[in-house]
Amino acid sequence: MATTLWDTTGSEVVKALLAERRAAGALASGLALTLVAVVDERRVQEAEQAATIAAAAHPCRLVIIVRHSINAESRLDAEVQIGGRLGSTEAVVMRMYGRLGLHAESVVLPLLAPDAPVVTWWHGPPPDEIATDALGVLANRRITDSSLAADPLEALRTRAADFVSGDTDLVWTRATPWRALLASAMDGVDGTAVSATVSAAAGNGSAALLAGWLGSRLDVPTELDESGGPGITGVELVVRLPDGNDCPIRIERPDGVSAKLTRGDEDARVLPLPRRELGDLLAEELRRMDPDPVYAEALTKCTGIHVDLSPRSRILVWRDPALAGS
Amino acid sequence: MTVPSGSAGNPLRDPRDRRLPRVPGPCAIVVFGITGDLARKKLIPAIYDLSNRGLLPPGFALLGFARRDWDTGDFESLARKSAQDHARTEFREDVWKRVAASLQFLPGSFDDDEAFDNLASCLVELEKSHGIQGNAAFYLSIPPAAFPIVLKQMQRTGMADNAKSGGWRRVVVEKPFGHDLASAMELNALVDEVFSPSDVFRIDHYLGKETVQNMLALRFANTLFEPIWNSNYVDSVQFTMAEDVGIGGRAAFYDSAGAARDVLQNHMLQLLALTAMEEPVSFDAEAIRTEKLKVLNAISLPDNLARYAIRGQYDQGWLAGERVPAYLDEEGIPKDSRTETYAAVRLGIETRRWAGVPFYLRTGKRLPRRVTEIAVSFKTAPHLPFDVTDTVELGHNQLVVRVQPDEGVTLRFGSKVPGSAMEVRDVSMDFLYGEAFTESSPEAYERLILDVLLGDATLFPRNEEVHASWKVIDRLEDFWSTTVPEKYRAGEWGPRGADEMLAADGRTWRRP
Repeated sequence: MATTLWDTTGSEVVKALLAERRAAGALASGLALTLVAVVDERRVQEAEQAATIAAAAHPCRLVIIVRHSINAESRLDAEVQIGGRLGSTEAVVMRMYGRLGLHAESVVLPLLAPDAPVVTWWHGPPPDEIATDALGVLANRRITDSSLAADPLEALRTRAADFVSGDTDLVWTRATPWRALLASAMDGVDGTAVSATVSAAAGNGSAALLAGWLGSRLDVPTELDESGGPGITGVELVVRLPDGNDCPIRIERPDGVSAKLTRGDEDARVLPLPRRELGDLLAEELRRMDPDPVYAEALTKCTGIHVDLSPRSRILVWRDPALAGS
Repeated sequence: MTVPSGSAGNPLRDPRDRRLPRVPGPCAIVVFGITGDLARKKLIPAIYDLSNRGLLPPGFALLGFARRDWDTGDFESLARKSAQDHARTEFREDVWKRVAASLQFLPGSFDDDEAFDNLASCLVELEKSHGIQGNAAFYLSIPPAAFPIVLKQMQRTGMADNAKSGGWRRVVVEKPFGHDLASAMELNALVDEVFSPSDVFRIDHYLGKETVQNMLALRFANTLFEPIWNSNYVDSVQFTMAEDVGIGGRAAFYDSAGAARDVLQNHMLQLLALTAMEEPVSFDAEAIRTEKLKVLNAISLPDNLARYAIRGQYDQGWLAGERVPAYLDEEGIPKDSRTETYAAVRLGIETRRWAGVPFYLRTGKRLPRRVTEIAVSFKTAPHLPFDVTDTVELGHNQLVVRVQPDEGVTLRFGSKVPGSAMEVRDVSMDFLYGEAFTESSPEAYERLILDVLLGDATLFPRNEEVHASWKVIDRLEDFWSTTVPEKYRAGEWGPRGADEMLAADGRTWRRP
């Protein structure tokens, strides 16, 4: 079931959503949150697929915002979908033209599910300052993806400088399976880590955060080695045992699919460690709404910028891009 | 230089780090009866799914033990097929390779000393090859009759000894936990002699279900329900566990057990305990088990068992558009069998919270559809300021927890019928779990196997709970031993006696 509205207004979209909800009956109950996705036209399909996968685990209302040139005449096109191609979500896809795009929040606010948490996800190069973006201010959690930036490591520094509790980045999410495997590999090892090395493709944000995490948890010097990729290709920890010997723990993943774990002189083991799809990453992010101090510490260590975890809220700072630089 | 096991805290683990999954330490699982139905349909797929979700430790081995002239290659092809056919997550070759690398098969019969010596030395070798650090869980997927000999063998070889192995050793036991109180006590004594009680895990797979655990969240995480969760507000509670299937290939076992021993004693009394228990002081295993045990010990049976304990046996009939045979015509069932395929009983709980509230439990096979649910029915309002005719269609407020299928919660309450007259009728407000709960959420066995490896006993009934449950069932079985179960047509909601039992109390069964 879907309603398509051309050259419409925010109020018409709210009405269409209500009508679709009534028509769909009990299909979409138990909303856990509203997910606002800010997407470029060429990434809409990718974002829709990912959101559908994530919504299977976290029933949500999905609001997708596609902004077109601000120089065009202001216009809003909208598509309301319940239980259609976007799975179990209540979805509203909106295309905004002209200066309306700068005030997207005026259309989004009445569409938020009452009293449910709001997550804003930028699937594209994220804004430099989330604060200048009204869609970031209204959210409880803000998901960026620094890997889509031209320089992911620089993007991470921007995130660190701009950090407010509730911000998160998918490059951190991508590191979770590595972190889980490293933590398991360290289980039952009695000793102190003395060094850590992460190898990855050049400019890999997840590798930088992984090294930052190891540095902050183990308090050892960490090295970031460049390899051919794909993504993170290996981690080596050296642990000094109580008897004074060094025991290397090595994980290698040259193919982006399975990893080989070697610990001391135990037999090597091959474990699956596939790179995850966007939908799975998003689902992990939607699982929790509480602050992530471990991420803040890893980000501090990896960028050298102190990340402030104290709870403060974002306040909208209006900057008109049309006037920027003048 | 080997990697020593140590108890020092792992610096990479942080309780604030909620993204890292609960992964057990290095260990092995030894399954006795690996070629059986349970192992093929539940255990191996669950282990594959755990691996696919990244929840198995790097140091892991799965040992299959059975009386087959097999090698590890044969075992691998059986395991591969069962993972492909029954796993809930997608079958991926790279995940399978990892599981396959951890497989080993040990042939032998249970009275073969050499086979068990073999197993013991194999576990020692795995410390080196798979880094299991002496940790092992033994899964007894075998008939209870074989328990004594297997346990004796484990005792003889010292496999069950925590201190000797240098790690932990745990045992997993499947139902039936005996067939009455005496046999259950005997069985428990036998297991406890070999393993220490805290290392014994009794699987009741219902407790591994998300919706059952949600009962605890619903009751103890909210303020909305707990104040009315007592005899001041609750009129009665109905537990239904219906199956549309017959007895399948379990004729011999089923005919010796019957519905009460097969389902009522374990799953249903556990559901009742979770529904009726007091708030545990904390969420650890001991605190929850203590509260459950208190409820089970407080269960009372009505004096008039002839009216309040009904047995039924299905006759031939039509179910879901197909003709199905009577129980007595099923293959392997004696023509004069008096085993019940349906049981309904009214229980009371003698505590201040529940005094006077009837708990109706029913379970049966060949009922119209497969459904498990808990329905709490509240008292009607003491005074209704409406005309009598306005509220004829108003029933009891109800809170229904749908355990399976269609997992969710329904709240039923009165609401005005739109129009110019004041009329009130019942409406249902539905909460459906997201698809995740039914599709990709862990299967009960996955969750429970993981808990065994982590040593978390919260979802496992302990000895005393099993004993308390048998005390209730034994009295019912005593009463039933001289009676013949009432017939009901396959495809209807049980025998007439069950309906009369509720009618006598001025109530009716809820149609699930």
